[in-house]
Amino acid sequence: MSQQNPPFYSDEQTVPETPDPGSAPKSWSRTSMVGRRQPRVDGYELVSGKAVFPSDISLPGMLYGSVLRSPHPNAIVKNLDTRAAEQMPGVRAILTGKNPEANIVWSYPGDVKSMLFESHCRFEGEAIAAVAAENSYQAGDALRAIKVEFEVLPATVDELKALQAGAPRIHDGGNRTKPPESYQRGEVSRGFTQADVILEHTYRTECEIHTPLERHGCVAKWNRDRLTVWQSTQGVYRIQSQVSSILGMPLSKVRIIGQYMGGGFGSKLQADKETIIAALLAKKTGRPVKLFMSREETFIAAGNRPPTNMRLKAGVKKDGTLTALDFTCVATGGAYPAGGTSGVDWQIKDLYQCPNVRTELSDVYTNACPSRPFRAPGHPQGSWALEQMMDALAEEIGMDPVALRLKNIPAVSQARSGNPPYTSTGLRQCLIEGAKSFGWREARRAIASSDKDRNWRKGVGVASGTWVAGAGGPPSTIIVKLFPDGSVNLNMGASDIGTGTRTVMALVVSEELGVRPDLIDIDNADTATTQYATPSGGSKTVPTESPAVRAAAIHVKQQLLAMAAEELKEKAASLTMKGGTILSLNDPSKKIKVTDVAGLKKQGIIVGIGYRNPNPANRATNPFAAQFCEVEVNIKTGEVRILRFLSANDSGRVMSRLTYDSQVIGGITMGIGFAMMEARILDRNQTGKIVSGNWHDYKIPTAMDVPADIVSVPIDLPDNEANTTGAKGLGEPVTIPTAAVIANAIYNATGIRLASTPVSPVMLRRALAAKAKETSQKDELK
Amino acid sequence: MTMPNFTYIRPKSLKETFQHLSAGNARIHAGGTDLLGCLRDGVFTTEKVVSITRIDELKRVERLKDGSFRIGALTTITELANHPLIKERYPALAQAALEVASPQLRNQGTVGGNLCQKPRCWYYRGEFNCTRKGGARCFAILGENQYHCVLGGRGCYIVHPSDLAPVLMAYGASIEITGAGGTKKIPIDKLLVLPEQAITRETALAPDEVLTAVLLPPMAQGSRSSYRKVRARGSWDFALAGVALALRFYEGKVTSAKIVLSGAAPIPWRCPDSEKIITGQSLNDEIIARAAAAAMREARPMQYNEYKIELFKGLITEELAAYK
Repeated sequence: MSQQNPPFYSDEQTVPETPDPGSAPKSWSRTSMVGRRQPRVDGYELVSGKAVFPSDISLPGMLYGSVLRSPHPNAIVKNLDTRAAEQMPGVRAILTGKNPEANIVWSYPGDVKSMLFESHCRFEGEAIAAVAAENSYQAGDALRAIKVEFEVLPATVDELKALQAGAPRIHDGGNRTKPPESYQRGEVSRGFTQADVILEHTYRTECEIHTPLERHGCVAKWNRDRLTVWQSTQGVYRIQSQVSSILGMPLSKVRIIGQYMGGGFGSKLQADKETIIAALLAKKTGRPVKLFMSREETFIAAGNRPPTNMRLKAGVKKDGTLTALDFTCVATGGAYPAGGTSGVDWQIKDLYQCPNVRTELSDVYTNACPSRPFRAPGHPQGSWALEQMMDALAEEIGMDPVALRLKNIPAVSQARSGNPPYTSTGLRQCLIEGAKSFGWREARRAIASSDKDRNWRKGVGVASGTWVAGAGGPPSTIIVKLFPDGSVNLNMGASDIGTGTRTVMALVVSEELGVRPDLIDIDNADTATTQYATPSGGSKTVPTESPAVRAAAIHVKQQLLAMAAEELKEKAASLTMKGGTILSLNDPSKKIKVTDVAGLKKQGIIVGIGYRNPNPANRATNPFAAQFCEVEVNIKTGEVRILRFLSANDSGRVMSRLTYDSQVIGGITMGIGFAMMEARILDRNQTGKIVSGNWHDYKIPTAMDVPADIVSVPIDLPDNEANTTGAKGLGEPVTIPTAAVIANAIYNATGIRLASTPVSPVMLRRALAAKAKETSQKDELK
Repeated sequence: MTMPNFTYIRPKSLKETFQHLSAGNARIHAGGTDLLGCLRDGVFTTEKVVSITRIDELKRVERLKDGSFRIGALTTITELANHPLIKERYPALAQAALEVASPQLRNQGTVGGNLCQKPRCWYYRGEFNCTRKGGARCFAILGENQYHCVLGGRGCYIVHPSDLAPVLMAYGASIEITGAGGTKKIPIDKLLVLPEQAITRETALAPDEVLTAVLLPPMAQGSRSSYRKVRARGSWDFALAGVALALRFYEGKVTSAKIVLSGAAPIPWRCPDSEKIITGQSLNDEIIARAAAAAMREARPMQYNEYKIELFKGLITEELAAYK
C-alpha cells in the first residue's frame, strides 16, 4: 500500500524549507497546520474512556494502600498500637515509622526536615501509618482499628495570629519561614511626594485547593530490584529522580509511567509521600499496591494556594503616570517551607511602568497543610490587589481604567536585574483589541446611564496581567521516527496534563513533515521509553517542547532528503517536500514519494532527534493578558451573575486554536472559582481543623456559574526571538487577572470595593450593609 | 474514609419493612443520596440498611377526589419537578424541586428523603463530636458559623437543608406516616422538630415508622405561590437564604398569607408577624418593608452569620414586591 500516500499526507501541503544540518531553522512565515482548529488527536481515547489513567490501573494480585493521618493540626503521637489492625481480615502489611525501611527523612526547601511518618504532626492530614489490604474497604477498616494516643498541642492556623507575641511555636526557630523578603527600586517616599493622588488599601485572598478531577496517587510494582510506578503526575522524570534519591536506587531501575493524567494545576509536580509509601508497601508484601488519596485527603494533604493578606499603597499623577507602589504581604505556606509568598509581588514589580517600588513579603508557618505551586503561584493574589488599586486610581483621577493601564506599559522588565527588554510584549494590543472586541466604551456608557432603581445592577471591569515565566527553555530531548510507510511516531517525555500538549506537538510534526496529525502516534511520559523532560508546569510545556519537536522533525527531513538526493542524483539543498512527495526545485521531473525512498525502506526507520536550544541572553520572555467582564449584582441579596467574559492574550504564536481557546475558558472558570466561591475554611477559633474539606463545602464553579459567553481574542504575535516556534506560555496568564476583573466589574455595578475573596452573597451582603451604614452616618453628619 | 460494614435488606412490603426496623439499629434507604454520604463520612453507623425501593405503592403521585394530591414518598425530585399538574397547581413546589442539588441527585433523591435528610452543618458532618451527635458542645457557637441559623437555635444551630419543606409548609401540607400499628396523618409543622424539642433528631418519626406520602390540600381560587433561593453556587448547593410564599388575593388585597424561610432556622421558619402585616392589605413598599423587618425581629446572629438578617430582609422585600 506504500504507493498510496494521500491517506497519510495532506496532498496540497507544502512543508517549510529544510535547513542545512547544523544551521538554525527559519521562523515560520506562514503555517498550514500550526494554529489551526485541530480537534484533539487523542480526543477519541479521552471521550470514550479508552485512555488509561494511573487510577485506572488494575494489576493481578494488586493490594490497596491507605494512609492513617493526624486528625489534629498540632499533636505528638505518643503511642501507636497496630496489633488489632494486623489481625483484621485482608490486611497484608502495616507500615509505621518504627519499620526500619520507613525510617525516611522527608525534606522541605531550606533544609527543613521531617519524617515520612512524622511523630510530631504539625498539620491535620500528616501521615502517621499506612496499611495494604486485599481491598480498599479492608484497608479502611484496618486504619480505623489502629489505636493512636496523641498529645494534642495548641494549634495556630491563622497566619496573622502566628506572628503575634505568645503564639504557639510551630518550629523551634519560630513562626517565620525566613526573614521578611524585601525588594526595592527607586525611592517610594520620593514617588509619593510626586503623586497627585495616593491611595492605600488592604486586600485578602483565601486559600484555594487544587482539586483536580483525578486524585493524587499511584500504583507501585516491583520486579526483583526494579520498581515501576504508574503515577498521576505532571512530570515523570521529576518523580523518577525523587524516588531514586529517596530509596537510594539507580535511575535505570526506577520507571515512572504517567501517559495520561487527570489534572494537577501544580499539585502534581512532586513525588507525594504516598508514592514512597506505596513502593514500600509493595516491597513488603511482594505485590503491586495501589494507593490513591480519597477526595477528602486531597483537601488536607495535597497542597493549596496560600492565603494572603496584602496592603498596597499607590501614587499616581493626574495624567495617569504611576509614581510609587508600596506593597506588603503576609502569607502562609502551612507547616513547612512551601513558598507561601512566592510570586505574590510579581505583578506589582513588573506589570506597569513605575520607577519607585518597594515590596516586603513575610512567609509564616501555620498548623496547616503545606502549600504547593498552584496555577501561576502568587499571581492571582497580587493581581487581586494591584488591579483593584489601578481601578481605584483611575476613578480618582477621572481616567478610563483601560487608558490608565495603557499609559503605564513598560518596554523592559523592570524587576529583573539589568532591565532586559521583552522579546515581545503584546500588553498594549491585549488592552486595545480586547476593549474593542468587548465593546468597553459602549458598555461603560450604557451602565453610567442605566436605571439605578432596579435591584439587579450591571457593571463592567477590566484587568491585565503578566506571568513571571512562560518562556520555557532547555533541556528537552525529542525523538521523531519516520516509518517506511510514511507514518510517524513522536516520542517525548513531557506529560499532557489535559492542556492538549499532544495535539500541539502533532501539529508541529505535521507542519514540518506534511503527515496528517491524526496519523502521528505519540508516546509520552514514560521514563523507560521516552526522553528526559522537565515537568509540565509554569506554562512552559509548549515553548519548551515545541522547538525540540520541530528540531526532531527537521532532523528526520534532513536524513530523508539526503537519502532522496542520492536516489534522484540531486543536491539535498535543492529538494523540497509536498504532499508526501520529495521534488527537485531545479528539475520538476525529478521526484519521489516518501514511501518509495529506497534508503528508508532499507533502513526501516529514520530517527530524528531534537533538542531545545537555550533562550536568547539578556532578554525577558513573558506572556501578557487583558480580561474584561460584565456582571449583574443584586443589591438586595448580594447575588452576582457573570454575564460575559473576554480574554485577550499575548502568548506568542497561536499554536493550536481550539486548545488555546479551551485554556482561556478553563482559566476563566478557575478564576471565577477563586474570586467567588473557593475557600479552605479552617475552624480558626477552636480546633484548627478543616471544615470545608470536601467537594460540597469547598465549592468549585459548576456549568451554572460560568457564562456561556466567553470570548477568546488571541493576539497572534509570533515571538521569533524567543524560540523557533514563536510560542509563549498560555495556561497561567489566562487565570491571573480573572478575579480582579470580577471585583472591578462589581465595583462598577455597586460602588463597593471588595477587600477579600470569595465574593459570595455572604461577603457582598456584608459589604452592602457596611456601605449602607457608612452612607447613613454621612447623612447624619450633614 | 471507606464505608464501614452493614447488612443490606430490600423488603417487598411495608409490613416486612417494619419487622426489620423494629429489630433496632437500622436505617431506611430510599434514594440513598444522603444516607450513603452519612455512612461514609461516619456521621452515624448502622448494622442494617433497609431499602424501601421495591415498595411500588410509595412511588405514585395521585390526585384525590377532593382535589388534593398525594405524593408517594419515593417520588423522585425530578418527577416532582416535571409533573404537569404539580407545575400547574403548586408552582412553588416545582420551582423548589428544581432548586434541589444537581440533576443527578434529583434523579436519584426522593421526596421522603428530602424531608428526612440530615443537616449539612460542617461540624455535624465532620469529625466533631457535637451536641447533635450526642456530644457536649455545639462547635458552631464559637466556630465557623457563617452558614448557621439566626432563628430557632438552642444548643444546636443547624439550618434545615430542605428546599421542599418550606414550600410544603407554606401550602399547609400534611405528612402520612405508616408504622406497624397503621397510618397517621400529621401537619408538616409537626414532622420537623427544633433542637429544643429533640437535639439529636430532626423529625418526629419513630425508628420503626416510615414517611409514606406527602398530602397537598387543594389550592383555593386566587392563590399564588413562589419559592426563591439564594445560594453561593448555581447548582448543587443548599440555601443561604430562601423564601416560600403562598398568598391568596381577592380584589387586589391579600386575604391569607404564608411566609416560610429556608436557611434561617433548624426547621423551615414561619413568619406569622409578617403574614399578619400583609394580610388584609394591598402590597406596597411600606407594608413590604414592615413585613420584611418583622420576619427578622427575633433573629439572633452569631459572629459570622449576621449578614443573613439583611439578606433575608432584602430577599423577602424583593419577593413580595413581585406580587405588587
